[in-house]
Amino acid sequence: MTPPLDLNRRQFLGAAGLTAGAALLAGCASTSAAASGTRTLQFWHLLSGGDGVTMSGLLDGVNTAQSAYRIRPTVLAWGTPYYTKLAMASAGGRAPDVAIMHATRVLGWAPGGLLDDWDTGRLADLGVDASAFPDPIWKKGDVDGRRLSIALDAHPFVLMYNTEVCEKAGVLDGDGRLKEAANPEDFLAMVDAIAGVTGGHGLSYGYLGDGSQMWRLFYTLYTQHGIEMEMPQGGPAVIDKDAAVASLAFMQKLLDGKRAAKQADYGTAVAEFATGKSGTFLSGVWELRTMQAAKIPFDVAMIPPVFGTRTAYADSHSFVLPHQSHPDAASRDLVYRFVADMLKGSFGWAEAGHIPAFLPVTESAKYAKLLPQAHYADAAKHVRYDPPAWFTGSGSNFQGQFGAAAQPALLGGGSPADAVARFEAAVKRFLAQPNPADPEGARR
Amino acid sequence: MTSTTPTTTTIVTGRAATRATRRHAGGSRHGEQLIGWAFLAPFLLAFALFLAWPILHGLYLSFTDQSLTGSGGGFVGLANYVDALADPVMWGSLGNTVWFTLLSTVPLVVVALLMAVLVDRGLPGQWLWRLSFFMPYLLASTVISQIWVWIFNPQIGAANNVLKAFGLEPIAWLQDPKTNMIAIVIATVWWTVGFNFLLYLAALQNIPQQQYEAASLDGAGGWRQFTAITLPQLGPATTLIGLLQILASLKLFDQAYQMLGGLSSDTTRSIVQYIYETGFVGYRFGYSAALSYVFFAIIIILGVVQALITRRRKDAR
Repeated sequence: MTPPLDLNRRQFLGAAGLTAGAALLAGCASTSAAASGTRTLQFWHLLSGGDGVTMSGLLDGVNTAQSAYRIRPTVLAWGTPYYTKLAMASAGGRAPDVAIMHATRVLGWAPGGLLDDWDTGRLADLGVDASAFPDPIWKKGDVDGRRLSIALDAHPFVLMYNTEVCEKAGVLDGDGRLKEAANPEDFLAMVDAIAGVTGGHGLSYGYLGDGSQMWRLFYTLYTQHGIEMEMPQGGPAVIDKDAAVASLAFMQKLLDGKRAAKQADYGTAVAEFATGKSGTFLSGVWELRTMQAAKIPFDVAMIPPVFGTRTAYADSHSFVLPHQSHPDAASRDLVYRFVADMLKGSFGWAEAGHIPAFLPVTESAKYAKLLPQAHYADAAKHVRYDPPAWFTGSGSNFQGQFGAAAQPALLGGGSPADAVARFEAAVKRFLAQPNPADPEGARR
Repeated sequence: MTSTTPTTTTIVTGRAATRATRRHAGGSRHGEQLIGWAFLAPFLLAFALFLAWPILHGLYLSFTDQSLTGSGGGFVGLANYVDALADPVMWGSLGNTVWFTLLSTVPLVVVALLMAVLVDRGLPGQWLWRLSFFMPYLLASTVISQIWVWIFNPQIGAANNVLKAFGLEPIAWLQDPKTNMIAIVIATVWWTVGFNFLLYLAALQNIPQQQYEAASLDGAGGWRQFTAITLPQLGPATTLIGLLQILASLKLFDQAYQMLGGLSSDTTRSIVQYIYETGFVGYRFGYSAALSYVFFAIIIILGVVQALITRRRKDAR
């Protein structure tokens, strides 16, 4: 195989960077580190905004708690830019010591040797094993018997509600929590009642131009039918058309201009709920901090199982070992320690809204008192991830393609069946393509 | 455009060097040649590293199944090209690119001409108009994308406020597949019309005043003067602007990508965006390179047509 140009350029840039960096750091960092025996571990992640601040706090915590290692984080832009760079670094075998990936993206990377396996024995020695995680979350890190990722959290799509508005609308129960709708009609009636109180919309949901947002709600509703999509390599995909159409039709009923705005983008919906102009808000848990900062009275619930089965569409930020050609044994040891330290200290991560995956944290008395987080912690047991396939996952083209297919139906009241047909065609195209990370399947 | 400028420089430098050598014929001809090459070296190095090598390497990649993740890389012959020609998404995005080029080139020529004529024909405060019309062109594509994302915001955007004032229904400009291409065209015209405007203004100011005077004496009115003198005199400028504009419009990517927030819509995905998506989102470098070369071939054909038209005009003179 002829090495591609980017490898050469990277080597060149790497060498140049190293030379310059070494000259710069010769005086300070490296000597002080060597003197105290502290190893620096490179850690890449894609968390910015409120999540980024929380993550920095957690890293500061583990850095100061011990002197064996020091984490040096590199933050890259969420989505494609991050995954492209991490893939290139891993392909060259010169990746960071440890990185965060969405659990749903791991599968696509598994066959190409982009990720190194976690040693479950070493993890167990540190108290990290199946018994410390909700079942579906732990299993997600396992790809064909290889332990490729360790979940830090689950971040489901949930329903936030303004307690003051909902109280007036009479949709709260005796404990001041939202009454759970048992079917689509109940849910629509509830939103109508809330809209009557706000005078504006009952529900905020931003989706315009955002395939991920459309997919999150759609797949929650779809899996509530008690099924999941299957997209085996080479096809054909298993998609229940009736359930898909029912889910989209329900979304259309929500977006009628009275219950929720017909045309709202993500930012508009956040602003609407944060200023009390609507009573409920369909969103990822990561917006928890935004709403706390907005100082509105609110609580959070799982999205009610209107189609029967209780599910929570979610993804997990997970620790992975990007492939290194010559991993340093001592650094690898410290990476295991770092991951265990982070999991044990993930209570702080809950403050950003995410549900820590590590059960000793969520089962603690302290967590039970953490509100509103404790009110939706149950979602961790009911998580549904993207259908496993190399092309799916957070920030993937797949979610964008779903958005392109579904948006005309949500926006202009186009037929849900047409939207599902467009989506199926897109999935078919994906399935016909080989996984580009797979050395066997790159071209039939 | 970027590539033509350096090439011209080479030719000029090359000729100048030859001339210099001839003048000092006899002396240290060899030494001067060395100096000539030394002057050329920085450019040649950059040219080789950032233009010649990527072009050749890209061509090589297009015959492999190289993946961005490092796997693949085996020679697959023409398979990528065969796939590309049968790929409906490639044809769709090529169609979008051509559609955008048509939609944008016409207003970018006509509006620029109108603006130039108005400014040339005694609007007071000419410098202010010139500045205002040209200013958007100086903005980065990221900036204009942000500006227009706000203008086109379906809930609070200026565009829908205008529609509302006329009692019209709001439009989801960038999200509705029926309008998103139009929205991108509007933003692009606002952004780049200033450049064509300047070219036209310069051409207008080069038209000899005597021709208008003579026409006035013969009793020709304003419109007659415009159609009989101004337009014909602007012919070469119009050809140049039109061709430059077609080439610029074919490169559609940044503003569309940014204004749609990366959402790949079947009605706006340009060929350049498809190449990017294939290579950097889908990791298929080999296929992505093949797509680039299909597009490259089309550009080459257009370039040849441009050259032919220009030559015919020169011959006609």
